[in-house]
Amino acid sequence: MPGKILVLAEHRAGKLKSISWEVIGFGQKLAEQLQQELKVVLIGKAIECLADEVSRKCGQKVLTIISDRCEAYTPEAHCQILSQVAQQESPFLFLMGHTYQAVDFAPKLATMLGRGFIPNCVDYQIEAGRLQFVRQVFNGKINLQVGLKGEPPYFVSLQQGAFNAYEVQSRQSPRVVNLTVPLPEEMLKRKVLEIVQAAQGKVDLSQAEIIVAGGRGLASKEKFQIILDLAHTLGAAVGASRPVTDGGWLPKEHQIGSSGQTVTPKLYIACGISGAIQHLVGMMNSSCIVAINKDPNAPIFSVADYGIVGDVFKVVPVLIELAKEIRK
Amino acid sequence: MRILACLKQVPEKDSRYKIDDTATGIREEDLVFETNESDVYALEEALRLKEKLGGEVVVLSLGEERVLKTIKSGLAMGADSALHLTDPAFRGSDAFVIATSIARAISDQNFDVIFTGVQSEDMAFAQTGTILAQLLGWSHATIVMEVNVSEDGKNARVKRELESNLFEVVEIPLPAVLTIQSGINQPRYATLKGIMQAKKKGIRTLSAQDLGLKNSQLGSMGSVVDHQKMFFPEKKKKTVILEGTPEEAARTLMERLHKERCFSRWPSAERNSLCLARFWF
Ligand SMILES: Cc1cc2nc3c(=O)[nH]c(=O)nc-3n(C[C@H](O)[C@H](O)[C@H](O)COP(=O)(O)OP(=O)(O)OC[C@H]3O[C@@H](n4cnc5c(N)ncnc54)[C@H](O)[C@@H]3O)c2cc1C
Ligand SMILES: Nc1ncnc2c1ncn2[C@@H]1O[C@H](COP(=O)(O)O)[C@@H](O)[C@H]1O
Repeated sequence: MPGKILVLAEHRAGKLKSISWEVIGFGQKLAEQLQQELKVVLIGKAIECLADEVSRKCGQKVLTIISDRCEAYTPEAHCQILSQVAQQESPFLFLMGHTYQAVDFAPKLATMLGRGFIPNCVDYQIEAGRLQFVRQVFNGKINLQVGLKGEPPYFVSLQQGAFNAYEVQSRQSPRVVNLTVPLPEEMLKRKVLEIVQAAQGKVDLSQAEIIVAGGRGLASKEKFQIILDLAHTLGAAVGASRPVTDGGWLPKEHQIGSSGQTVTPKLYIACGISGAIQHLVGMMNSSCIVAINKDPNAPIFSVADYGIVGDVFKVVPVLIELAKEIRK
Repeated sequence: MRILACLKQVPEKDSRYKIDDTATGIREEDLVFETNESDVYALEEALRLKEKLGGEVVVLSLGEERVLKTIKSGLAMGADSALHLTDPAFRGSDAFVIATSIARAISDQNFDVIFTGVQSEDMAFAQTGTILAQLLGWSHATIVMEVNVSEDGKNARVKRELESNLFEVVEIPLPAVLTIQSGINQPRYATLKGIMQAKKKGIRTLSAQDLGLKNSQLGSMGSVVDHQKMFFPEKKKKTVILEGTPEEAARTLMERLHKERCFSRWPSAERNSLCLARFWF
């Protein structure tokens, strides 16, 4: 398979996002396996230093598109630029992280070019010379193998954390090339007015040694109380999955996951949490994970060290009593 | 305002799945279905927009007969009418095919805003809404946490969720597709009155032929990606499942945490006010 792999690297505040390093690392590995060339694409305003840094670190060619119109991300500018890049470079594959930005523009771009977009992949394989990706469906309970269809380029995004084993290698040909793409103002339909940081809450879970977290399985705000009780007796902090904070059972600051906090306690006790990937990315690097769930097939068990298949309302009260005993 | 809300029906979250013989789908016999979570938030947002600016809310669902339950619950929540796209040829369609079918169904209906969920819980493409916008030549915004449509109905100012607790406020011209994230509002429940009224509301059924779509444009043939096979994931970590009654399992867990792993891992240094664990471990 001769050709080229392009990695779209994302950045904020002058720094590359960690997921983009993962994608570059995996891109290098894949380029080697398929004997293809790899280039990193960077879009933005005043990104010259970043481009140099990226190029030096991975020793690959970097293609920059620098424009005042790209100071803030818009899907229109991204799609215009990347369709031009696709035309000029004729890549085989466009790789990117499965970020909020990719979700916003990649389906549009692929559709503009009459192609498909394979989102949020967690694994890959090359079978009889054919490249296939694996993604999770049905709330992480089933994997789906997806092949490339039609003509290249193929658009693929990678799940955060799933490819971090592929470390960036420092190759031989660092070089930055800039490409100019006209971006007439009337094309940019979306106007970015402001970027705001959600008010920093009082709850900083990143320092907690033990976290007791509850999910939708707790059924209601009232019943969620037993999670607070267990946390209290263990001297632990309280975490939650998204439905718990969406439903107002707990303030948003307690949410753990891709749109909440990332935590690495020594002990994480997940109660009534199914283990959706957006939750797992926020807690899977905890040292010891305990899962209590009535569903033996819940994906949370795939990251747990200890599991109890059972009803939280039966198990947690016992844990509270035992913790009280030990404490005496 | 003419407003469309797309509702997908998906298996209940706690479902246990069996993969079918072709390994390209799941067996539906023993499954219970519900409306996709973020779609309920999308419909609520649609209803609120109508209440503010006036107009009409139409719900749309593509799928077999069973999705009528989802359609009816949308009507009971307050939608005015419904479109049901149904055809055996839709089975196995990817997001591109679904978006194409929706685009065909509504091309002559002058909608101002389309609300979809951020992603479906079964296939998790996270792209039907965005593809739909592209096919219609409209603008779009994804992962939306707040919607404000201008009085004249020409623009929408929306707040998008980004990573790391960041949000972005953007303005886009209408018509547009907005993909709605859970937590944007607290969806209402259908009232008894709503359920009764829903029975009188119109549901228009459209087949692939009505949409002018051929079989070659649908299902896996029409899809732009190649869904090859489904399989159950292998476990990456060796999980010790603690057996017995809840009492026994809880006791074993405490002993294990105490003795085997966690005790040795608790450094006696650095105190943490959030965490009193060291006092009893
Ligand atoms: C863009 C995006 C960002 C997201 N960000 C986040 C995020 O930051 N954090 C996050 O958590 N989610 C996030 N989500 C949502 C995520 O996809 C899941 O929907 C969510 O994590 C599910 O939460 P849950 O496990 O509590 O609920 P469910 O998936 O409904 O699981 C509930 C579990 O409880 C179990 N259960 C029920 N009753 C009992 C009982 N009595 N005893 C024991 N077990 C029981 C069930 O078996 C089930 O496994 C995001 C989604 C999207 C699309
Ligand atoms: N079959 C369908 N019927 C109605 N709406 C759908 C359908 N499939 C997808 N959608 C809408 O598109 C959103 C995103 O779905 P997906 O692209 O599959 O993740 C869903 O939340 C729905 O609002």
